[in-house]
Amino acid sequence: MMETKQFIIIGLILALLVGIVAVFAASGDPDGLESTALVVGGEKTLTSVTPEDADAEEAVPSPGLFTYESPLPDYSMGEEAGTGGALVAIVLGIIIMFGLGWGASAAIRAMREPK
Amino acid sequence: MHIPDAFIPLPQAVIYWIIALIFVALALRWAKNELSEDRIPLVAVLAAGIFAIQAFNLPVGMGTSGHLVGGALVAIVFGSPFAAVFILTLVLIVQGLIFGDGGLTTMGANIINMGVVGGFVGYYGYTGLKGITKNTYISAAVAAWCACFLAALLCAVEMAVAGTFPLVPGLVAMGVYHAAIGIIEGIITALVIYLIHHSRPDLLADSTEGGGVAT
Repeated sequence: MMETKQFIIIGLILALLVGIVAVFAASGDPDGLESTALVVGGEKTLTSVTPEDADAEEAVPSPGLFTYESPLPDYSMGEEAGTGGALVAIVLGIIIMFGLGWGASAAIRAMREPK
Repeated sequence: MHIPDAFIPLPQAVIYWIIALIFVALALRWAKNELSEDRIPLVAVLAAGIFAIQAFNLPVGMGTSGHLVGGALVAIVFGSPFAAVFILTLVLIVQGLIFGDGGLTTMGANIINMGVVGGFVGYYGYTGLKGITKNTYISAAVAAWCACFLAALLCAVEMAVAGTFPLVPGLVAMGVYHAAIGIIEGIITALVIYLIHHSRPDLLADSTEGGGVAT
């Protein structure tokens, strides 16, 4: 059986590898929800390819009026930062996620009343 | 399947948030009382891994792509649907706040679809199927596919209530695309359980690979 330390390191390396490969290899096609928006909005048919300029949020009514500008939209640091920016963004996200996963679960567990 | 802020009007978004918070509270209680010390690293690794893999969209044809959601995976690994709510909520907070993936007002709906439906369908689908098939990987893969597919149908209903998609065309398109995306969900869920089984079987809630049923 693998040591805990080894398990953590291998798990984290796998996550980083997946994230880094994703920057180069992830599909640019819209996801299922966006594709559905394009279908019901008449921008594509169920099985057709997606037009280059298709915008899911413009294809359907937008009843939600709230808007929010995230600091690293679409897992990038803006167009000018390019691939390098996207790599920094995804690695940062993975490290934040690891820290938050550990921190949040340890903190909540610490609230357990001593028996 | 991350719903952006634009797709749900605020009053409805608030209702989804209230429902989601009930499950989040139950998930926090699970983490406080049921999560053992030695599985905290597993929470951290799965949270990081699910975040990474959700950025990796794979093409499924029909001009569409998809990625693992991971709710079923977490629920099966930890043996509790509340583990999925707990980890998926953390992932959705980071995605929404920092990366603009999924809205903030719609985060409640996203927690329901991906964490709650993913976790409950994944966990109960798995335990039910495992009792019949006696095979961990087939049960996990099929349960994960169902979790993805049913979450997508619920999402289509939410979009219809919001007035964003018409009901039937929305259900058809969401159903067709996520029937395909669910194959990714099924394969990766089974693969990750296989990897954990062969590295740290003690961390799995159900460490029986072939015979036996989760207890």
